[in-house]
Amino acid sequence: MSENMINPVPEGANKAGVASSDRRKFLRKSVALAAGGAAIAATSAANAGDGLKTWTTPLKNEPTRHMLGRGVVSVPYGLPSKYESGVVRRNVGWLTADTIASISFTPWQDLHGIITPNGLHFERYHAGAVDVDPAEHRLVVHGMVKQPMIFTVEDLKRMPSHTAIHFLECPANGAMEWRGVQMDSLQFTHGMMSCSEWTGVKLTTLMEMVGVDPKSTWFYGEGADGSALQRSIPMEGAHDQHGKPIPALYTSHYRDAMVCYAMNGEALRPENGYPIRLFVPGFEANVSTKYLRRLMFVDKPLVTYQETKHYIEVLPNGMIRQFDLVNEANSVITSPCPDFKMNGKGTYEIRGIAWSGYGKVKHVDVSIDGGKNWTEAKLVEPVLNKCLTKFTLPFEWDGSENLIMSRTTDETGYVQPTLKQLREVRGFNSIYHKNSIQVWKIEKTGEVKNVQIENV
Amino acid sequence: MSKSKMSNWGLGLAAAAVALTLNGNAFAFDTSADKSAPKVSGVGMNITDAAIKPWNISYFYDGTNLPDGKGTVTAGEKIYNAQCAMCHGDFGEGAHGYPKMVGDPVDQFEASAKAGVDAVSNRGLNNNWGNAPTLMDMIHRAMPFYAPGTLTTDEAYSVTCYVMNLASIPGVGDDFVCDKTSLPKIVMPGAKLYVTNSGPDTDNTRCMKDCYKGTEFVVEKAASIGDVSVGKVQKKDTQ
Repeated sequence: MSENMINPVPEGANKAGVASSDRRKFLRKSVALAAGGAAIAATSAANAGDGLKTWTTPLKNEPTRHMLGRGVVSVPYGLPSKYESGVVRRNVGWLTADTIASISFTPWQDLHGIITPNGLHFERYHAGAVDVDPAEHRLVVHGMVKQPMIFTVEDLKRMPSHTAIHFLECPANGAMEWRGVQMDSLQFTHGMMSCSEWTGVKLTTLMEMVGVDPKSTWFYGEGADGSALQRSIPMEGAHDQHGKPIPALYTSHYRDAMVCYAMNGEALRPENGYPIRLFVPGFEANVSTKYLRRLMFVDKPLVTYQETKHYIEVLPNGMIRQFDLVNEANSVITSPCPDFKMNGKGTYEIRGIAWSGYGKVKHVDVSIDGGKNWTEAKLVEPVLNKCLTKFTLPFEWDGSENLIMSRTTDETGYVQPTLKQLREVRGFNSIYHKNSIQVWKIEKTGEVKNVQIENV
Repeated sequence: MSKSKMSNWGLGLAAAAVALTLNGNAFAFDTSADKSAPKVSGVGMNITDAAIKPWNISYFYDGTNLPDGKGTVTAGEKIYNAQCAMCHGDFGEGAHGYPKMVGDPVDQFEASAKAGVDAVSNRGLNNNWGNAPTLMDMIHRAMPFYAPGTLTTDEAYSVTCYVMNLASIPGVGDDFVCDKTSLPKIVMPGAKLYVTNSGPDTDNTRCMKDCYKGTEFVVEKAASIGDVSVGKVQKKDTQ
């Protein structure tokens, strides 16, 4: 039993319900079949089989056993099994006025790794997804530069490339839970976030080519779609429009930024900015302009619509906070989760994902008693910079009520806050950057519910 | 304004170019870029500022780069009623879930936020907008929603003028004329409320044992309102 296991089976439990005649038969067979490994297998089977029902009907062959299947390229671009048709992006009709300026959610409850399949990457549009012709598309880099330049998509693919795995998260992830617990589904509490292997040209490579003026302290990207979305991104020495310095915590993220043409090894999907997009790892996804056509280097922020009206936080002191750019440390248990019921007492594995816009995940702790006691979970390699990290912890469910939750500490020492701590500084009416500890309640019935602990 | 700013940048760059000539090394140009950035040659094309101009459409908060042209409240009203009111309301009150132009007066907005009753539905140009030039930027860039970027410069100035008039922005009377000189002088009522994020604002600690000894938890369950999982996500047994 792992030393990390929480709620272990009480002493003596393994001896309960000893050796039925079926179990003795099974043990004899195991010994006959594999003398070498018998002791371990038998011991293991003896424990695992305790208290289980027995299958007695002779096994029948499957319908697929006596037929031929499909030939190669019958599906030229492969699709998931027809039995996985429920694993799809979903939206929330009442959240936005239409589906053109809207968002969809990644079904994390059905995913098992840190990579989001491209067809399941969450979507966020401000003026819909468009089909940009890569042969016609151009990227202009200008402003405070020695030599303004223009590039084709082929130019960008020819240049020295950069590949890295990073998460991309809308800062509104979890927004519907600020005022109270609402969405009884992991897909809708944490689905505005995906993680991919991104490939493109590093921004710093382009900066070197055009010769960015050292006095340039901000840049912005602009898209070729109807929203022509633009966001100001600070660099070293940046000051806001009031003349106040931007904290150094936010002025080096651009060094990881890239102009991407590929995700998970294939071309970007139109939903994610085909043929090229800006990507600034760790920052709220809104700054990573899709359908990128222009980068301008400047010495002050634009303070765009997105920065004055939209991606802001109205604080409980009445002030409006701008340029909250980093998605701070966050985590969620993906199994168990409200989208599935527990299937009886016994062994489960608590699994989840953790991430931080400041760097690597350092620890993930799991509690099954509402946060009174915590056990450090195992981090599953790879553990990467500004990337989802999978965590696991063995879990024996004894059929009782449990409040299960995970808490990330990142490499800067920042510890994911409780919801109460977050509400104390941001109030109940915020929208963005809700990175608080998510609590699921396992009911005695096996139902798993989204809950909030109000007082700690 | 925009032109003078652009030429200032140009002068700065010219000075830098002179320094380069004196150094006699074109690659010595000191950028803030990663020093390990690879050198690339023979890829892409140079482009002139004149060729970029049709795409150089960003208007800064302080009015930098605002275009020539002008608009009036009266002209804006006609365009707004024909192209904007169906989504933003005849009086800027919003419609069909699209944003309001007119929110609560700024003092009421501030009081609501302090009382914890702020909501997106309170927000409009008269409380949650910092600078008039970026309103012109938004309207000229991305409005009307169903045909983005199709307003002429004068039309965009006019709609900017009209919606600020609707929202009773101080100084924007019925006779106000919007252009690159007048817009930067407008003081938006909400401007005084904006602050820049100063860093992480929570300080949780990594307690491992007996963290809330003796505390009874107050647990709130998911409400049925907003539970979109019903009928959409199939509740399945874990396999």
